[in-house]
Amino acid sequence: MWSTHQFWVAFLREIGISSENIVFSSDTSEEQGREFGKGRGTVDCCYPVKAMSGHYGELIFGQKNKLHIIMSPMIYSLPSFMRGHTSENLACTRVMAGPENIRAGFMKESDVFGDNGIKYAAPFVNMAEPEMVPKQMYDCLKDVFDIDMAETQRAVDAGYNALRVFNEKAQAETRKVLTWCARNSKPCVLVLGRPYHMDPGIGHEIEADLQAYGYPIVWLQYLPVDKDLLDWIFGEEVQAKKIRSPLDISDVWTSSNSSNTNEIMWGAKFGARFPWITCVLRLSSYECGMDQPTYTPTQKIVEAAGTLFFKFGDLDSTKPAGSIRIRIETIVHYLAKYSEKIMNQKLALLPPDCPLLLDKQEQSEKSLASVAGSD
Amino acid sequence: MADGNFVQIAPLMREPGVMEIKTPPKLQPSANGAMICGMDVGSTTVKYVLASPSGEVISQAYERHNTKQGEKVLQFLSRLEAQHDFTPQRDRIFFTGSGAGLIAPAVGAKVIQEVVAVAASVERLHPDVRFVSEIGGEDMKTIFFNGNGTTKSKQVLMQSACSGGTGTFIEKTARKLQIAPEALSEMRYTGHTLHKISSKCGIFAEADANTLLKAGVTVDEIIASLFEAVVYQNLATLTRGNTPLPEVLLLGGPNLFFRGLQEAWRLHLTHIWQERKIAMPNGKAPEEYIVVPKDALYYAALGCIEVALGEQHTIGIYQGMKKLQWWIDEGQYEEKKKQGRGGLCDSADNLKTFIDVYSKMDATSQANIELRATTTTVEKKKLDRVVVGCDFGSTTAKAVCLGPDKELLFSCYALSKGNPIEDAKSLFSQLREAIGDGEILGLGITGYGKDLLKGILGADCGVVETIAHASAGLHYFPDADCICDVGGVDVKIMILKNGTVSDFRLNSQCSSGNGAFLQGVAERFGIPLSEMADKAFLAQAMPQLSMGCGVFLQSDIVNQQRKGWQAEEILAALCAILPLNVWIYAGGMNNLNQVGKKFILQGGTHKNLAVVKTQVDFIRSKVPDADVVVHPYSGEAGAIGAALVSLDWWEKGGRSQFRGFDVIEKLTYLTTTAKDTVCNWCPVNCQRSFIDVQLPGGLGREWSKVPLSLGWERVIVNNSCAKGLVEDLNEMKVIKAGIEKTKHAFPNIADMVRQEGFRRVTASA
Repeated sequence: MWSTHQFWVAFLREIGISSENIVFSSDTSEEQGREFGKGRGTVDCCYPVKAMSGHYGELIFGQKNKLHIIMSPMIYSLPSFMRGHTSENLACTRVMAGPENIRAGFMKESDVFGDNGIKYAAPFVNMAEPEMVPKQMYDCLKDVFDIDMAETQRAVDAGYNALRVFNEKAQAETRKVLTWCARNSKPCVLVLGRPYHMDPGIGHEIEADLQAYGYPIVWLQYLPVDKDLLDWIFGEEVQAKKIRSPLDISDVWTSSNSSNTNEIMWGAKFGARFPWITCVLRLSSYECGMDQPTYTPTQKIVEAAGTLFFKFGDLDSTKPAGSIRIRIETIVHYLAKYSEKIMNQKLALLPPDCPLLLDKQEQSEKSLASVAGSD
Repeated sequence: MADGNFVQIAPLMREPGVMEIKTPPKLQPSANGAMICGMDVGSTTVKYVLASPSGEVISQAYERHNTKQGEKVLQFLSRLEAQHDFTPQRDRIFFTGSGAGLIAPAVGAKVIQEVVAVAASVERLHPDVRFVSEIGGEDMKTIFFNGNGTTKSKQVLMQSACSGGTGTFIEKTARKLQIAPEALSEMRYTGHTLHKISSKCGIFAEADANTLLKAGVTVDEIIASLFEAVVYQNLATLTRGNTPLPEVLLLGGPNLFFRGLQEAWRLHLTHIWQERKIAMPNGKAPEEYIVVPKDALYYAALGCIEVALGEQHTIGIYQGMKKLQWWIDEGQYEEKKKQGRGGLCDSADNLKTFIDVYSKMDATSQANIELRATTTTVEKKKLDRVVVGCDFGSTTAKAVCLGPDKELLFSCYALSKGNPIEDAKSLFSQLREAIGDGEILGLGITGYGKDLLKGILGADCGVVETIAHASAGLHYFPDADCICDVGGVDVKIMILKNGTVSDFRLNSQCSSGNGAFLQGVAERFGIPLSEMADKAFLAQAMPQLSMGCGVFLQSDIVNQQRKGWQAEEILAALCAILPLNVWIYAGGMNNLNQVGKKFILQGGTHKNLAVVKTQVDFIRSKVPDADVVVHPYSGEAGAIGAALVSLDWWEKGGRSQFRGFDVIEKLTYLTTTAKDTVCNWCPVNCQRSFIDVQLPGGLGREWSKVPLSLGWERVIVNNSCAKGLVEDLNEMKVIKAGIEKTKHAFPNIADMVRQEGFRRVTASA
């Protein structure tokens, strides 16, 4: 949901659901799980999946106005900026099957949805293959929303369009941040996590604690993929035929099936090369089987040219505040001590003409405060 | 120790076991007119039920065994023989409970799994029951019954790896609060204000209870909160998507004896039923469907009889007490030898080599200080140009002076008096004596006092603990890969990569593995800390303790004592278990190989060579070519690190802002402890004190409830958590405004996603 949100909003609006009738469950929290998910949990060690029972419960019991439909898509594959450069773009199977798993907790003894007058819809969608989506959505939702195939097609198009617009905007904002860092020789921090780590109850806003020390934060999901920038960073390797394209990860990760994992591996490569990213934060949830095999490769990639790498693993419902505080202060110490050296070291490895320093249009960027979301 | 396979390794949060139980066959009267005895040997009590051949109860009793399980069983059996003519070779006996396995074979009894036994009696006595909670001394179980008649099935969930949610959890804290068992059983849940108590770990619950007590919360409210925590823990971990349906049966000692616990169950269960619109089968009030039978203690023993009636009559023939008597007198000690393992060292020569090498590493040990004094002519170096490092810890404050060449020239310490200003004065008067007119090039401070005192002392570097320890470690051992610091109350593991701390573990979930526990046990045995290692090395054999929960470790120790293990053997076993608790249970690190090869041990607990020995053995069992060293100044490492960081800062052109000895000596301060200084961030309401220090350039706090004028700075003490360092909402606003300003200037792309990703009006952008 954390990487496809705008698709769903636009889809629903296009089929005639007004904004005020679309409700998202709130951010994950321990209290949400306690109050609404209590005893509904099913056996799953993945914390983000476990947390879903709290979200379902909140949507059923925690709304001022009763809801009529709960839609919780089963996303089989994800739209990714790396499509075409990897073998597959699959979602994690646990997350894909999560809705069914959690639904079981609400159906086991009686149909809690039905008892509360709620229709439950879980469209199974191959979002990496847009041509398949209209039929999948139609099959699942035709009776729920009373829509025909043409309407569904239009809504799916609107969804992809909205998602593209949003992603491009976020990438542009990230480019602004990176440009500012380059112009002012300031370091920034790259977060390598899964999209749901942006949920304050899952990622615990660990990166925000670093931000409070004056370090801009960028996320791998929205790194700019503009040709000029990627050519500067990866061009020599493409020319040397080490990789087929700037988005190729076959040099570090051969089984490129999982969309998020692919992006994480590429993010690690970007972070390792981009001079003003002097520190990479790796976030991972409790016993994540998808992340497990990537720990060592991402760390090795990031550290290869001296970039600092710090991992916050096994995150679950509790925010270990004391331990996080000490670690953040530790990271801040190293950022202050080594950033300059790291930036120079990495700059020396790249061609001289960084597009972020040449770009006339962005010359006037003196302050970062204009980046959306920073106020 | 070499293979490291001698202890049971339980994962940190063990998933409750799930098993399906077959319904026992239909009852038939026991053949030959044999009476049947069901004996339940639990972790704290032994219970028996004697039944007629057709299953009617003739006699029953329970008594605490005070860890003498065998003796108690023997006593019961003699009573049964004398009073009820319970006869060897004729009558039958069946055992259940956690202690059954060892004793049952001695009397010819068959062992019935506890859950099977409980389920069997529940099914016969309460056919309408759908949910059973049985809470024992050291475990908890739930049984869900689904369906009816032949389709009836059971699902059992149990938890025995951790004390959270068990009887021990309540009793341990109650003992600490000096509540008599009789009083505890009558204490109420209903009507009390509840406070948050850790439901996960008994030792942390005890700490929470202490904090609440200090804050003036009544004992009644604390106990009510404990009952709440137990019920919450049972429901949270042992329901797994199932709703406990009426009728509900509460079994086991704690459920029977603690009235408050029953009340807590009633409240929670009726609340769940109401919320989930569960209909009551016969329309009675929901509370009436929560039953605590007066025989709640005997259900496992009764179940043995149920099962026995379905067994062939040749099974479980009572063999008399002779063998049990022998087992109590001799057998258990032989068993002890068989079960135990060798001492901490396989040979005297190896031990000598180990001690020769490792006893030289601690530069601060008396022997090494004396050795240096006799072998080197110490030229007292002048402290004319030094950097100073201070470590303000929770119990002591330490300071060191390093020369510009990084040589350690002086160290001193002061016991903490709870007032950081007084601690600083005490430390700096010692420093003044040593340094005299010498120049202080830089001042670095670390420890909890870092943020409080930085401005007041004019410190140049406030150094976070990890950096301080890593700097000190890397200074002496530049090739270190890992620092393992085991202190009194916490365990820190720092993993180093390229000279930086790349990963850090702070044990905050569980008390297992810290030094205070070891010290506590030694004290109970009357062994001074300084002799603990020597005693532990004396042990030629030792029991096998289980890794994990400190609460259970305590009862395990009592059990081992009962088997005849001596103090030094138990201490050796505790030292042996410590590395597992530190690295695996508390640190969550199963793969030491990835960490590297060079390990530094530091922290007070590593002054104990027996612990060092087990640590070295453990690390080498995982990383055969590991180089394990003890930091030469493990107690002062923090202060040394702070000094090294400030030296680095000075070398880069920093010029010290140290306020000078005169200013510190003459620091004027006012202490306010009043209603307005009480912390209101959480219901604990700590009675804090504000120490206001007169300081040139002090910013004052005009917005405060206890206003402070310009030229003064405030230090807050007696808070029990970091939140209390912030005075109140006013200060929070000031701090937040600062953070927001920074965040505004330095954006986080996730903020944009959080704000706009789920925004519903941007869809048609």
